[in-house]
Amino acid sequence: MVDPHQSLCAAVAALFLVMTLTSAVAAEAAKTTPKKRSGTPIPTVKTNNLAPLAAGVKAISSHSPFEAGDCSLCHQNKDPKNPGPVTVPGNESCLECHEDFKAVMGRKFSHVAAKENCGSCHNPHNSAQPKLLVEELGALCNSCHADMKTMTTEAKVKHDAVTTGQKCSNCHDAHGAKVEHLLTKLPFDLCINCHGKDGVLDHDGKKLTNFKTLLAENPEHHGPVADKDCSACHNPHGGEHFRLLNSEYPQQFYSAYDPKLYALCFECHEEQILKDPTTKNLTLFRNGEINLHYLHVNKAERGRTCRACHEVHAAKQTHQMRDGVPYGAKGWTLKINYTKTPFGGTCDKTCHETKSYTNKVFTAIGKPANQK
Amino acid sequence: MRNLVTVAAAAAVISASSAWGFANAAVGTVIANQEMPTVDGTRHLLLTNATANVFVFFRPGQEHSRATLEQVARCAKDMADKSVHWVAVVSDRYAREKVETDIKETGLAMPVLIDEGDALYGRLGVALCPVTGITDRDHKLAACVPFTKVNFPVILQAHVRRVLGEISDKELAEAIDPSAAIRSGEGAGARQQMKLAEKLRQAGNIEKALEFARKSIEKDASAAAPHILIGQILAGQGNRGEALKEFALALKLEPANTNALVGAKALRDGPPGAK
Repeated sequence: MVDPHQSLCAAVAALFLVMTLTSAVAAEAAKTTPKKRSGTPIPTVKTNNLAPLAAGVKAISSHSPFEAGDCSLCHQNKDPKNPGPVTVPGNESCLECHEDFKAVMGRKFSHVAAKENCGSCHNPHNSAQPKLLVEELGALCNSCHADMKTMTTEAKVKHDAVTTGQKCSNCHDAHGAKVEHLLTKLPFDLCINCHGKDGVLDHDGKKLTNFKTLLAENPEHHGPVADKDCSACHNPHGGEHFRLLNSEYPQQFYSAYDPKLYALCFECHEEQILKDPTTKNLTLFRNGEINLHYLHVNKAERGRTCRACHEVHAAKQTHQMRDGVPYGAKGWTLKINYTKTPFGGTCDKTCHETKSYTNKVFTAIGKPANQK
Repeated sequence: MRNLVTVAAAAAVISASSAWGFANAAVGTVIANQEMPTVDGTRHLLLTNATANVFVFFRPGQEHSRATLEQVARCAKDMADKSVHWVAVVSDRYAREKVETDIKETGLAMPVLIDEGDALYGRLGVALCPVTGITDRDHKLAACVPFTKVNFPVILQAHVRRVLGEISDKELAEAIDPSAAIRSGEGAGARQQMKLAEKLRQAGNIEKALEFARKSIEKDASAAAPHILIGQILAGQGNRGEALKEFALALKLEPANTNALVGAKALRDGPPGAK
């Protein structure tokens, strides 16, 4: 049974939609911002049917003014059968009541679709979704951010954070944010919400580290961790590399040297440190001019990978040096016994006999300002 | 005491963010100036007597470096009217054409210095590349800013603005590690119901106005405004006793609220001649 009130209301709203949106919003729909890397351009605004739900469709959320049954709160006429056009155009009408969104969308980073038209995502009457959304949240975001759909659903390594709970809204505020990419907090502060607990499993059921504990027990944090930039190494949406890493990183302790294996590290660290047998400048891990990074890593067989000596997130020792390395099938730990010295360091009775190195320290840089 | 805690917290955030990147030059170290050859065949000083000096180490053809150059170029443009000297630094190991391609494609409009034999790289002990150094007018290193995937331009500009004296340590710390923003819409339901109640009252829909004002109170019992609105409506309907109760509730929440005081007084005094 069709409710005549609803259907007429829908017809009027649809007509209004056609009249206003075809000229203005549809033209806006053609405006796009180029996507940063490649792929489909992201539209700046989305055109939706903003009519009330058809009779018989259950509303999950309903806008209070619509529920109040007085169309004149937004439209020219009171009569639901003939509401006429809205009295205040665009977002202004919404912001009259939802005034706190002015401040939210005035934050340093704002969502262009929201700024252009609340109707990009919300139906001002009612909806079969929460928050008056015109579509299910994930589908709604993906309808513009098409590349994200591919990444989150087809990636070899998946991240449950993007497909469960509040989905995109677990990390992003679709209206405005103080952090780039509309993040509600810096990456670390978001990640730690889940990865700061015991017993968290990855998409494939593997138990994950509790980073709150790990970082508390290991005070020497890798730079991106200290800068709360987990996304420096991990892609939270999904990816092709284990542990959602952005690029290739060696999984094994030993590996024949292949620069491709270290693509992740080379995003921030100079790859030349593994290419030159000698150097005066490129690394402090050198004995005189003998490049000890090259010596350890750049071998045709059994080169030591980064993980052989360094922890990737945090360690007790400077340079994120590991305490020890796993040795043998029984999981015995061979201590590295690294000691930092003013001009180098020592590894004591470890994979090799005790060896020390001294890097030549520059003198031209000058004195600290307080030592004139 | 609270101020001291705030200052210490800001200092911790700033030092955690700017303490690494140059192994041989801690924050506060005076960087020795030098003239260096440039990509366009001239020579240029690493540092000048501008209020702030910014130097960016990069590698051509590398994703993070390109992102850094693009963002540094934009920052330099945004801050073009300020006393900031911007240069980029690249090793002489790289082919000139590759470097020129990156300069062109990232819109970098600043001198690009060539680090011959990676001498400057080694002198500072650059541990990361790309990385950006910032000094003050006296060439004292103020910050070392590594590339971050999130908020890099915000952090870089904040460090430069700190050196320029435009923002405080506290504001710098807030830029580096922003406090959590309230989720949009969080806690707004009561205010919106109240706004709607006001609109309904203006539209003459009194019963609905009362309904939504009461809904607003259900969501947030600490606001005086819905009680005042209900009081005014009830007073208009001649329900003096109930209206007074609402104004009293409003005054309990906000003792100095003028609308509540006026409403209550008008009811107590009554119209001229009323008992």
